[in-house]
Amino acid sequence: MSNTRSHIWFVSPAVLLMFLILILPVFVAGTFSFTDYNLGSPDFKWVGWKNYESLGKFSSYKKMFTASLTYVVIVVPVSVLLGLGSAMLISSLRFGGELYKTVFFLPVMATLLAMAYAWEFTLDPVIGVINKFLDDGCSVGWFYKLFTGSWLGFNPTESWYGELCNDRMPNWLGNKKYALGSISFIGIWQAFGFNMVLYLAGLTSVPRDLYAAAEMDGANSPWEKFKLVTWPMLGPTHVFVVTITSIRSFQVFDTVEALTRGGPSKSTYMMVYAMFEKGVKQNLVGMGSALTIVFLGFVLILTLTQVYFINRKVHYS
Amino acid sequence: MAGIELKGISKSFEKNEVIKSLNLMIENGEFITIVGPSGCGKSTLLRIIAGLESQSNGDVIIDGREVNNIKASNRDLAMVFQSYALYPHLTVLQNLMVPLKLRRMSTLERFPIINWFFPNRRSKIDKLKESVLQASETLQIEHLLGRKPGQLSGGQQQRVAVGRAMVREPVAFLMDEPLSNLDAALRVHMRAEISELHRKLKTTFVYVTHDQAEALTMSDRMAVMMDGEILQLDTPSEIYNKPASLRVAEFIGSPKINVLPAESNEKGDIDCMGISMSLSIKDNKNEKILVGIRPEHTNLLQDNKKNCFLGEVNHKENLGSDIYLHVTLKDSQQKMIIRSNPDISFNTKIGEIIRIGFDNNKVMIFNESGQNLNKKS
Repeated sequence: MSNTRSHIWFVSPAVLLMFLILILPVFVAGTFSFTDYNLGSPDFKWVGWKNYESLGKFSSYKKMFTASLTYVVIVVPVSVLLGLGSAMLISSLRFGGELYKTVFFLPVMATLLAMAYAWEFTLDPVIGVINKFLDDGCSVGWFYKLFTGSWLGFNPTESWYGELCNDRMPNWLGNKKYALGSISFIGIWQAFGFNMVLYLAGLTSVPRDLYAAAEMDGANSPWEKFKLVTWPMLGPTHVFVVTITSIRSFQVFDTVEALTRGGPSKSTYMMVYAMFEKGVKQNLVGMGSALTIVFLGFVLILTLTQVYFINRKVHYS
Repeated sequence: MAGIELKGISKSFEKNEVIKSLNLMIENGEFITIVGPSGCGKSTLLRIIAGLESQSNGDVIIDGREVNNIKASNRDLAMVFQSYALYPHLTVLQNLMVPLKLRRMSTLERFPIINWFFPNRRSKIDKLKESVLQASETLQIEHLLGRKPGQLSGGQQQRVAVGRAMVREPVAFLMDEPLSNLDAALRVHMRAEISELHRKLKTTFVYVTHDQAEALTMSDRMAVMMDGEILQLDTPSEIYNKPASLRVAEFIGSPKINVLPAESNEKGDIDCMGISMSLSIKDNKNEKILVGIRPEHTNLLQDNKKNCFLGEVNHKENLGSDIYLHVTLKDSQQKMIIRSNPDISFNTKIGEIIRIGFDNNKVMIFNESGQNLNKKS
């Protein structure tokens, strides 16, 4: 092989394509992030670290990091645990499992953008079905008692729901207090079906004998068996699910674009939306590129963490 | 230590009945082997004793106590699985600690964080560790305690699995084909080791296997099981020498017993394909019967004797100590396997016609439905 050069010809198309469409764009973005380039303008100035400095300086970027990280911190654990819980429930079913799998997987298959518009109607403060329901609930005795906590002895008018009943129902997407929560809720709704499928696959690979062994060893309750067998045996699945969900949560865009456009007062100003706003809408390619590089950094950290765990802790062979 | 009694156990999976009203009395401290071909229900039976599977009918009685509604975890039995079923994320030491921790420490003492508030937890764990060390000494696995199961060989994993069963001193051991994942040499070695362990512990062992060699070499008594029933329950030598039926005779013994058609005349004398066997039976006169001759009770004759079969050698298996000759009998085209001394048959060639003699005292006689007639005579 060393005498001829034919091997170079065989691999070069693949290597070239990989370089052109995967690696080069990252370098281009990296380069642009040190300029003030605008799309269409004939030339640009080098601005050094200015774009990156402004990420730390301006409050809108600080809010961006807060919003993105909060979103990830809410969506990842909740959707992972919901996915695991529903997978375990479904795999314990004798029949009907297929139906649940399909239903829970529907949001994953649906176009998120289209679903976002559906949620917009559902969450609408005036015509939305949720507020309509909550509004009507104010006049239903037991419902009011349940949600105000007056059945536990709390003062109903001082509770969250009691106050809403006296005032009016929240603007889920337009109120700074609720917007990020609502977006996160949709994120969880969308993500957990995917995690459930991954966990279902993981659960099938847990050897049945281990449960029998745990039982013989004295594991009485389902909790003991979960602790001794299910949870550790799902180790590789945990790492994969958490990493994938984190990366996908960092990438959230559709719902933000469709429902809040980063508002109100930047409370849902997520990273990818900021990239889009700066780089595309406002044509500040330099700034957009800097955001992209920071975003890539986050994803890289997550991926490396995954690689570390896969190599170290969760492989039992 | 405890005896185990099975009374009228049956088990069906949907319409498929895998165990049919089975009775079995296992004495305290006995090493009993349940042997049978795969799919005969022997593993299911073991899982029913363990409580991992519930019987459709009948009672399981351990140490005089009916345990039908008692969970596997509370029956105080230990089980060794074919796959070993070690916890792959735990070290050998932790694996051996699991049954002790689960039984000797309360839920709260094992709960993360809360367990910090139990002052004597440390000393309790140290005590458990001591018994683990003792068990690992017996099994010679002390040097493996820090490793994970994935880093062990099959034989070492097997020892750890036995150790995990041993540490908490159960009333009986259940073993589900524990040696079938090992290579042949190690299997022979572990056979001796498990027998020795039984002698040392003097606990009841219930051992399930499809390998007749394991059953014959290790057990005090063995139960031959087929199609969900126990065909014969006796000591290995009784089962080998006096099988109750043709099915048992064919299953136990390797190579398989030769079965030849024969007839008994009005006096009860037996004639097998033209050869009178100088054997007679009292009942079943004037009937078609079957004659069973184990390969090891045949021999290659060098001189022309009266009572012998003539056959052509088709195939020769040299095992070193013995040579097995696969023979087709001359007139009947009946196949037979005979064992011969290598000194005699070393130059026997394929295609050669040989004379086959047999040990008259070891010949087994069965009626057409497969019942042993020797026992009656």
